[in-house]
Amino acid sequence: MIKIKAKDVDVFYGKKQALFNISLDIEENQVTALIGPSGCGKSTFLRCLNRMNDVIDICSVKGEILINDFNINDKSCDVVRLREKIGMVFQKPNPFPKTLYENVSYGPTIHGMAQSKQEMDEIVETSLKKAALWEEVKDRLHEPGTGLSGGQQQRLCIARAISVRPEVILMDEPCSALDPIATAQIEELIDELKKEHTIIIVTHSMAQAARVSQNTGFFHLGQLIEHGSTDKIFKNPDNKKTQDYITGRFG
Amino acid sequence: MNKNKEQLLNKRYKAEQRFRLYGLSAIFMALLFLTIFIFKIFSTGYSAFQKTWLIVPVTFDAELMMLDQNPSKEDLQDADYYDIALKSMADLDPNANEDQENELKRMVSYFFEKEIKNELLNDPNLIGKTKEVYLTASDDLDQVFKGNYPRDLPEDQRRVSDYQLKIFDQLVANGKVESKFNISFFTNADSREAELAGIASSFMGSIFSILVCLMIAFPVAVLAAIYLEEFAPKNRFTDFIEVNINNLAAVPSIVFGLLGLGVLLAIFHLPRSTPLVGGITLSLMTLPTIIIAARASLKAVPPSIREAALAMGASRMQTTIHHTVPLSMPGTLSGTIIGLAQALGETAPLILIGMVAFVNTIPGSPMDPAASLPVQIYIWAESAERGFVEKVSACIMVLLGFLIIMNLFAQIIRHKFEKKWS
Repeated sequence: MIKIKAKDVDVFYGKKQALFNISLDIEENQVTALIGPSGCGKSTFLRCLNRMNDVIDICSVKGEILINDFNINDKSCDVVRLREKIGMVFQKPNPFPKTLYENVSYGPTIHGMAQSKQEMDEIVETSLKKAALWEEVKDRLHEPGTGLSGGQQQRLCIARAISVRPEVILMDEPCSALDPIATAQIEELIDELKKEHTIIIVTHSMAQAARVSQNTGFFHLGQLIEHGSTDKIFKNPDNKKTQDYITGRFG
Repeated sequence: MNKNKEQLLNKRYKAEQRFRLYGLSAIFMALLFLTIFIFKIFSTGYSAFQKTWLIVPVTFDAELMMLDQNPSKEDLQDADYYDIALKSMADLDPNANEDQENELKRMVSYFFEKEIKNELLNDPNLIGKTKEVYLTASDDLDQVFKGNYPRDLPEDQRRVSDYQLKIFDQLVANGKVESKFNISFFTNADSREAELAGIASSFMGSIFSILVCLMIAFPVAVLAAIYLEEFAPKNRFTDFIEVNINNLAAVPSIVFGLLGLGVLLAIFHLPRSTPLVGGITLSLMTLPTIIIAARASLKAVPPSIREAALAMGASRMQTTIHHTVPLSMPGTLSGTIIGLAQALGETAPLILIGMVAFVNTIPGSPMDPAASLPVQIYIWAESAERGFVEKVSACIMVLLGFLIIMNLFAQIIRHKFEKKWS
């Protein structure tokens, strides 16, 4: 089933066009990887999906992005509600400089998802468990989140993102600042999370895309060159550029 | 070639050594000036914390005080103390002629009548008896006792006569002159008489001014900074505002004083010489300092924190209030303290709005006339009497102490916040 349908999306930074006519369907409860060389627009596309580009004054987005058949670029779309449904994990772990508990409970608090302290405790616990962090931190929930290691911080950010039970999780190179062990943990986690969430991951590492994703889209110079099942893209791409990139001839 | 390189290297090392030397000598110079300054202030000012008292036997003669038998409390209040006060002073030298009696009277402060009255009010049983009472010595004798008075000047160039010195020396020899901690320096308002002048009025004036300044400048500045940094679109208009705020920070303080005079006093008719007007004027001056500091510390909050909050579905205001502002608080607070410390030491604008007036009452609210500590220093430094010299230094010491306490307070707040947020 198709969760997100992008139709002819153009993105401009001032007068410079960053994305050209992107049309891409994203399957529900699967992992879609966006790959491509630096500056190809894959992160820009990702940020269109939860309208994070709104923050940048000079950035304008054209075209339709349908999530559950609702165009999020429409004026009637409320970004607060949208971002509640679409979580995001960033390249560099960015926990709030607050306690672990406050980090995870922040989303549910502002969206009024818990009626009591008990409910909130439960949300925090399940979120941390789903992010495979609970066992490591259950005794120090009230210590600052910034005291964790890089990998733990990123899992904390994932716990924070899933605390509001989003339908979609956007991941912007979530492992680029992590060591191989932490990366492996996060990848395992992504595999687990796709049961309940639709995941879109931007990655620099083709190996990672091959390991975690079912679908892959290849971006180059602001254009979506090719997309399809990961198997096909990696083994038998239609486009010559894709093949060159996959085989390491450029990028 | 190799030799050349060696020479070059040596040259570089030497240059580095010279550079270090320059730095060290600069620091040494700064420390030297500071030490001289502090030494001068302390050595001149410490004696102001001591006050000289003459111990004079006073006979509480009911007849002279115009008191009936068994006087009530009111009678004691209304009684005439001037005659017994005069008589006690005159009795110091039984052979004194009229002129000399006058000189004897001037050996104590004009407050001596009140001091004798208080003695009797404390103990009404003293009527008809004689008691040794502590009377505040005149400022000149105070200086004589502290050794700051040029006794060897010819008599006609001194305010203390030979006769007064003779009697004073006798009193000293008999142990009837005592030096005690000068409480009245902290509890009295200003006075024309150096021996009675205190800093209570100017101290309270400073505190009220700073509070008014803080209450106006801090919220306005923080809101302005938050709006400009987090909400305002970046366009020419906001650039223009930014440039003007920076210019405002460089405007000489006396201009703000003129503004206070022209607007607050002339148009709004706020009460003259009050900490309210002083505080508002100072807040105009402090405003740009706090705005600049608050904006800088808001800018220093990593954008990743804002993105994290926004991506969680926080609105822009929630992002600002929950995350950005708390993180920027330590910087904002230290900027505020710097601004307030500047305001505390400011003299010129306060003089213009009339806080330089002679105020001999202690203000109970920001609406009462008051001086402020730096203005008090200015007033005393202008006075001719020798007794005010030490007072100036003592007042500077109090002002410096005040500033140090404020900075300490700021450090503590800052430290606490920083621990919490990182």
